[in-house]
Amino acid sequence: MTTDTTVSAWRRGASDRQLSRRVLLRGFGAALGVPWLEAMLPTSNAFGAETAKQEPPVRLAVLWSPNGVHQDHWTPQGEGSDFELSPTLQHLAEFKDKLFIPTNLWNQASNIGDGHYVKCSGFLTCTTINKSLGIDLNCNGRSMDQVAADLHRQQTPLPSLELGIDPVTTGVDTNVGYTRVYGSHIAWSGPTNPLAKELNPALLFDRLFRCSNSDQKTHRNDKLLLDRVLEDARELNGKLGNSDRHRMDEYLQSLRAIEERLARAATQSQTWTPRAAFDRALRPDAEIPEMVTEHVQLMLDMIALAFQADTTRVATFMFGNAVSNRNFSFIDGVSSGHHEVSHHQKQEDKLKQYQLITEWHVQQYRYLLRKLDGMQEGDGSVLDNAMVLYGSGLRDGDSHNPHDLPIVLAGKAGGKLATGRHQTYSRDTPLSNLYVSMLQALGSPADNFADSTGPLAGVLA
Amino acid sequence: MQSSLLVQHAAVLRPHYLVFCWLVFCLAAFAPWATSHLNAEDTALHITDTQATALFENHCYDCHSAEDAEAGLDMETLATGAFDTSSLAAWSQVVDRIRSGQMPPPDAETLPSPDRDSLVAWAQESIRTTVSGDGIQPGSPMVRRLNRNEYANTIRDLLGIQVNAGHALPSEGAGGEGFDNAAETLFVSPIHAEKYLDAARTALGHAMADPELRAEILIAQPSDAVTPEAAAKQVLQKFLPRAFRRPTSESEVESYVGLFQNLQPALNAFPDAVQATLEAALVSPKFLFIYEESCVGDEAELISQYELASRLSYFLWSSMPDSTLFELAKAGKLDDAGVLESQVRRMLSSSIRGGLRPGAKVRQFAESFSEQWLGTRALGRTFTPDPSIAPSYNSELEGGMKYEPVFFFEDLLAENKSLLNWLDADFTYVNRHLAKHYGLDGSFREQPKLVQLPDGSVRGGVLGMSAVLAVSSRPQRTSPVLRGKWILDTLLGAAPPPPPPDVGELSETDAAGNLVTLREQLEAHRSNSSCSSCHASMDPLGFGLENFDVLGRWRTDLNGLPVDARGELPDGTQFTGPNELKKILLSRKDEFIRHFTRKMLGYALSRGLTYEDECVAGEIADKLPEDDYKAQTLIIEIVSSIPFRYKMKQ
Repeated sequence: MTTDTTVSAWRRGASDRQLSRRVLLRGFGAALGVPWLEAMLPTSNAFGAETAKQEPPVRLAVLWSPNGVHQDHWTPQGEGSDFELSPTLQHLAEFKDKLFIPTNLWNQASNIGDGHYVKCSGFLTCTTINKSLGIDLNCNGRSMDQVAADLHRQQTPLPSLELGIDPVTTGVDTNVGYTRVYGSHIAWSGPTNPLAKELNPALLFDRLFRCSNSDQKTHRNDKLLLDRVLEDARELNGKLGNSDRHRMDEYLQSLRAIEERLARAATQSQTWTPRAAFDRALRPDAEIPEMVTEHVQLMLDMIALAFQADTTRVATFMFGNAVSNRNFSFIDGVSSGHHEVSHHQKQEDKLKQYQLITEWHVQQYRYLLRKLDGMQEGDGSVLDNAMVLYGSGLRDGDSHNPHDLPIVLAGKAGGKLATGRHQTYSRDTPLSNLYVSMLQALGSPADNFADSTGPLAGVLA
Repeated sequence: MQSSLLVQHAAVLRPHYLVFCWLVFCLAAFAPWATSHLNAEDTALHITDTQATALFENHCYDCHSAEDAEAGLDMETLATGAFDTSSLAAWSQVVDRIRSGQMPPPDAETLPSPDRDSLVAWAQESIRTTVSGDGIQPGSPMVRRLNRNEYANTIRDLLGIQVNAGHALPSEGAGGEGFDNAAETLFVSPIHAEKYLDAARTALGHAMADPELRAEILIAQPSDAVTPEAAAKQVLQKFLPRAFRRPTSESEVESYVGLFQNLQPALNAFPDAVQATLEAALVSPKFLFIYEESCVGDEAELISQYELASRLSYFLWSSMPDSTLFELAKAGKLDDAGVLESQVRRMLSSSIRGGLRPGAKVRQFAESFSEQWLGTRALGRTFTPDPSIAPSYNSELEGGMKYEPVFFFEDLLAENKSLLNWLDADFTYVNRHLAKHYGLDGSFREQPKLVQLPDGSVRGGVLGMSAVLAVSSRPQRTSPVLRGKWILDTLLGAAPPPPPPDVGELSETDAAGNLVTLREQLEAHRSNSSCSSCHASMDPLGFGLENFDVLGRWRTDLNGLPVDARGELPDGTQFTGPNELKKILLSRKDEFIRHFTRKMLGYALSRGLTYEDECVAGEIADKLPEDDYKAQTLIIEIVSSIPFRYKMKQ
């Protein structure tokens, strides 16, 4: 655990912080290149003994990728536990026993509008978003991860993490009549509230780190400050017309989120303790890495870290924004942008590149699975107590259709999932049915979500 | 002066307004007008009411008429009835469906592209006439948070620090007319308060670590004669009105003195307790939000002097008002027409020495507007050229490319030049790398520098700017389709509808992956009218730019063949290369100016435009030729307009 001196140096001011940063950078230089997460100390001390008795929490991560997949190489052969991984999913062979692969799920609500935006914002909401350049922007629902976050909102410092590697794409797409905001978010806390993503692994580390400290003096000062600011917000709210009030309300909620966390930390009976220690010296470099693979893996490291410590139980990650034309020429054999090759028109050369890009995504997914599986927890690993979904909102990038979506789920959710299976459902079974089952694995009593017709048979053990 | 402006506007300001909130709500979501204002000269698109009705009859009535009309839309009744405010909502739906290509449906007879454009233009013009005839109403009071860029600039001007205080804040998308200052897309996520708190701490830490800046903040210290509370109060009395960009009340200041008192026992030292108090002010929504007081009655109201100061400064500087604007607001003089005009000219000024512009606040505006309008913000972010085709690409070249349109626009604004320079100009701004890239002689450094272009140069104007040519390309090759679409969308506000579902994009390569020429493509798609009708307008424009490679370098051959930069537009106009293309665009200058004015008004109001705002943009655009399309005239017209000066309960 960190000491109070480190924490207050971090909280106090720039001069102190600059000093500590320099020290940290030196420390990090040495750590660079090593799989640093594994170097972290295992859970220890008194509370460790106590938490070990409790059931480990079940976590949920969703990794979303834009532009679909090479559809001919996705679907496994065989049914139930007797199946053979496809060329794309072959990269997950070492986790075959921990996978659940559903075939034939679709997202009906996104089968309208345009080729990309509705299939991004609607991926976790299973609703049809409003066609809008901004003013009546509305996803008409709530994303599944946020429903999951509600289940344990009081138990962890952060209800959820929203992560990515690309800033929100700017501008509005006048061609199809949607603001690109829609293509930059999968997590929605409400119909008009897309959740901002964290892109910088170092800043994310700082957030996670701070959540694990409980410096009472700093908390007291923060509380005073927040009280003052909340009063300002309430005063303005009183002056604003009804139509303008919602943004100020959003800010009030944002302030209250910190206040509640402080309050929780201050109440001894509800004090949260990390399930694993944070080592401040292992903070990632302040600069975002230039290489996309490195950037992605640092962000995934943070998910693993947050899950291991139980700082949060819910995380979403976007490999890119909708219509991303990221240049993947750093992969041997690829010479084009992602969106461009996804419009392969069945040309052999483009399909080859599309496949290589799809495989790269699956390899990054595997990276997270390996991280989580390498983290011991009870008799198993963190992965055994998690559900990690990888998917895209469209199947084939050339036809933009949301039938038979590429979806794979890994992890056993504390034994609640029936893994090691490939299950083919009847054509056009709602994706939301899978979400119902996943939410149930997280402890939700609900048997519906968005346009679901019930839980998906065969998911829960 | 206020009253005289009211009189001036009285003719168009409705005394009592029928609220069409629902309409404004729906309509602002639509894409910009596919075509522009019509007058006697725009015969290409203009159709009469009778012609329009005939088109509706031929293409719509089969399904949309009588009691069993599809989707409950009786087009026959609509098209033959009176065009008035009661039918606006239905008409706006019709425009959207036709413009986006959703109607007529794929299994119906195809509506040819020229007919579609004419019909959309006719309906939009009818809507606009109906709305304008009813008078202009302003929007609701502005309430939005500062975006990342505005936050950083405001902190810089408030504290005097030179670091980017907004770098760790979440990034923002855009709404309305495509800008990241649009109120509708400035969301607040749970993460924001935490990020603002961090940013405030870091920024104040920097300021307090600098002796001069620290002295600017700590204007009073406790002493034998001055209690800590009294000293803190003096500090706050100076700080808070600037942070909140308006006068503060005694009770507001006292509430912050109260916080100081509560913090002091824990933070012993006076400066530490003051700093923590100021942190609160910088996390307060009073600092983070631009918010205007609600309207008292149902009538349109002038915004207050301080509200005007902020509207001006966030429009033209992306930052807080300076002391001059505050003083004029305090004196109640800011909305005097003469004062307003001279302030705009002052705010747009930027000095130039030896062709170099050392820096001015107007650059923030030039950068923010031009990068988002042109899409060049993508350069180095979502668009990077492939290393295999651009080994010489480096950060200095990228900087030169990115800043060319920014400095160019700063020049137009500061020197009050014609906005038509965007379409063709005899000057531009290049740094050392970009000069080499363009083959321009002269001595250049890392800073962009004004350069006069030789006669017949292919540079000058937006079509010769490498940043634009790059972001409208693929990472590995140029794309006439994307460049053509870019011209229609960005310069003329006539974005083509998306391709029909499941058709995918027009292939620019053959089965072997070789680039096929435009002519070959069009030949291949001529049989498919749903492709050729739009591509016939888009592709020739882009093909005229084929002499520019992905990075905008001039080339004369491509894949071993001479570059063929000929284009033929649907109306039969033939041209070759960028300079003839510039002439064609200049012949459509009215469309360009209208679109540019719409974009600028949307940026100024930081929201999507309503049909009523469209009327205002149209009127302003119509005035610009009288003054040679001067840049400052456009800005002055906008800040004097009803939507910019007034607010109204919605």
